[in-house]
Amino acid sequence: MALAARQAPPAQAPAARAGGRGRLAWLRASSRRLTGERSFLRYATGVAALLPLLALVGIVAILAAKAWPAMKLNGAGFFWRSVWDPGNTYGAPVKTDGVLHPVGAHYGALPLIVGTLASSAIAVLFAVPLSIGAALAVVEKLPRRASHVLGMFLELLAGIPSVVFGLWGILTLGPVLSRDVYPAVASIMPDVPVLRFFRGDTGYGEGLMTAGLVLGVMIIPIVAATTRDLLRQVPVLTKEGAAALGMSDWEVASKVSIPWVRAGMIGASVLGLARALGETMAVAMVSGSLLGTVPANLYGKMGTIASTIVQQLDGAFSDGTGFAVRTLAEFALLLAVITLLTNIAARLLVRKVAATALPVGRGV
Amino acid sequence: MTSVRAPATAAPRRADVPAIVEAGIRGVSMQVQDLALGFGSATVLSGLDLEVRRGEITALIGPTGSGKTTFLRSLNRMNDKVAKHWHRGDVLLNGASIYAPGAQLMALRRRVGMVFQRPNPFPMSIAANILAGVKAHRIAGKEHYRDIVEARLREVGLWDAVSNRLNSSPFSLSGGQQQLLCLARALAIGPEVLLLDEPTSSLDPVTTENIEAMARSLVPALTVVIVTHNLGQARRISDRTVFFYQGKMVECAETAQLFEDPREPETARYVTGRMG
Ligand SMILES: Nc1ncnc2c1ncn2[C@@H]1O[C@H](COP(=O)(O)OP(=O)(O)O)[C@@H](O)[C@H]1O
Ligand SMILES: [Mg+2]
Repeated sequence: MALAARQAPPAQAPAARAGGRGRLAWLRASSRRLTGERSFLRYATGVAALLPLLALVGIVAILAAKAWPAMKLNGAGFFWRSVWDPGNTYGAPVKTDGVLHPVGAHYGALPLIVGTLASSAIAVLFAVPLSIGAALAVVEKLPRRASHVLGMFLELLAGIPSVVFGLWGILTLGPVLSRDVYPAVASIMPDVPVLRFFRGDTGYGEGLMTAGLVLGVMIIPIVAATTRDLLRQVPVLTKEGAAALGMSDWEVASKVSIPWVRAGMIGASVLGLARALGETMAVAMVSGSLLGTVPANLYGKMGTIASTIVQQLDGAFSDGTGFAVRTLAEFALLLAVITLLTNIAARLLVRKVAATALPVGRGV
Repeated sequence: MTSVRAPATAAPRRADVPAIVEAGIRGVSMQVQDLALGFGSATVLSGLDLEVRRGEITALIGPTGSGKTTFLRSLNRMNDKVAKHWHRGDVLLNGASIYAPGAQLMALRRRVGMVFQRPNPFPMSIAANILAGVKAHRIAGKEHYRDIVEARLREVGLWDAVSNRLNSSPFSLSGGQQQLLCLARALAIGPEVLLLDEPTSSLDPVTTENIEAMARSLVPALTVVIVTHNLGQARRISDRTVFFYQGKMVECAETAQLFEDPREPETARYVTGRMG
C-alpha cells in the first residue's frame, strides 16, 4: 500500500493543478502516503526499540538452554561450593539424572563469585575517590589548558586495550606492590574483623589486590569523565552561595558540589562497576588464576567468572561429554545475572537518593 | 522619608549592637576608595568613592548593566574568582583593607554576608542549610544546632511553615520560602554587613514585603547594602541611595533627597522613569 501511494502523486499532480476532483484525489493520495510512511516509521522505530530487549532475552535464553543440564546436575550447592574438578575426561562418561558427564566432575562457583565481587569492589573503592578528585581538579581548579591535557590523558587511558593493562599489572605494578607496599601494609594491620584480610602472606603480586587495582585504573576514565560532566552541571550560583558563606574551596566541593551530583555519582560508579565485573583479559593475566579455593586474604591468588571462562574454555572442549562447556555457560549466565542485579540495585539507590535530596537542575 | 520603619515580623534586636550605634552616632562600616575594576580588557567600574554607613540600609539603583552587582560583589570579594578579574583602589571594612595581602577571605565573608538574586539553597536538608555556615566557621557546638535553626527560621518568619519538615529537601519549598531560607542561612553566621542583590526580583509581592520588613528590622544592628531594580523598594526601605550609571557612581544621597531633589540630571531622568 505504501508503495502504491508513493507512486500516485506524480501522476496526479498535474490534475491537482486543474482543480476539481483531480485535486481531491491527489490530496487523498498524499495523505494516504503520509500515513503509510508514518506507520512504516512507527514499525521501524518500534522494532528498533525492541531490539535490545530481544537481544537480551535471546542471549539469556540461549545461555540458559545451553547451561540447563549443568544447572540440573550442579544443583543449588553450586553457589556455595568451593571446588573445581573436571573429573576423569579420559574414562568412560556416566549419566546422572539423564545428564552425561565425566566421572567425578564437580564444580562450585563460590570462589569465583567472591573473586568477581571483591576485585570489582576494590576497583570501585579505588577509582571513585580518585575520579572525584580528578574531576574536581578539572572543573574547579586547573587552568583551562591543564584541564584539557588531563582530559586528553583520561581519554587515552580509556582507549588502551585491556591486555596492555594486564601486562603492565603483571610485569610492573604487581611486583612493585608485592615488594614495597603489601608487606608493609600487612605488617601494620591489626588482627580484627575486616582488617584481618589485609594480613598474612602477601605473595608475588598476582592476586586479588593487584587485580582490583588494575581494574581500578581501567575504570578511572569512565568514572572520572562522567563525574566531570556531572560537576559541570552544578549551578555557579549555588557554589557562589557557599563561597559567600565563607566556605573554603574544599568545603564548597565536599558540602555542596558533590552532594548536588550524588545521584549521578552512583550511576557513574555503576558504569565503572559493570566494566570491572565483566573485565576478562587483564584479570586473567594478574589474578593468579586460582580455581576451587576462596582467596585467603586480599593478596591471595584468585579468579573471576569472566577470566575463568576465557581461561578454561579451551580445556572444557576436551571434555567429550560437553559437561564442562555447559558449566561454563552456567557461569556466564551467573555473570549476566550479577551484572543485572547490580544495575537494578543502583537504580533503586539512585531513586532513593534523588527522592530524599535534590535532583540536578530542580528548584527555584 | 516614606519608609516602613516597623517590621511586620517582630525579630529580636541583636544583643551585640554597640551602644554607640544605638545612641545614634553612626560610623562608617565600609569605605570604598577610588575603586576601579574589570575583567580582562573590559573596565566595568571606575572612580568609585563611597561610604557605607553603619546600621543603615544603603540602596544601589541604576539601569541594567550599570555595574551594581559587580560593585556589590567587590564588597565581599566574590569577583576574585571570576576569570581575568582585576581591581585598583581599595575597600575598607571598619578601617582595614579587605584586599590587604594578609586579609582572610573566609573571615571577611563571615563578616560580610550575601543573599543572591535568585534563591540558591544547598543540596541538604532545610536545617542543614541554616547550619552550613555555622559548621564551616565552627560558631557553635552540636548541642546548640536545634536552637540556632529554630531561632533563625523564626527570625525570617519561616518557622511555622517548615518546622515539621526540617529534615526534608529545601527544593520542595516555594521560591519565596527558599529565598527566606537563604536569608536565614546568611544571618546564621552573624555578619556585620549584609549584601542583598535584588533579593526580591523573582518573588511575589507578599514575600517581597516580608523581606523588605525583615531588612528594616535588621538595622541598625546590621549594615545592609541592597541592589534593587524597584525604585519603590529603594524609597521604602533605604536610608541612603546610590545611583549607578554606566559603571560610575553618579550620585549618593539621603534617599528622600535623591528621589525628590536629585542633584544630577541623569539621576533625575532615572528616578522619574525617563531612563531605562
Ligand atoms: N565576568 C564578567 N566578564 C566581563 N564583563 C562582565 C562580567 N560580569 C559583568 N560584566 C559586565 O559588567 C557590566 C555590569 O554588570 P552588572 O554588575 O551585572 O550590572 P547590573 O547588576 O547593574 O545589572 C555589564 O556590562 C556586564 O556585561
Ligand atoms: Mg545585577
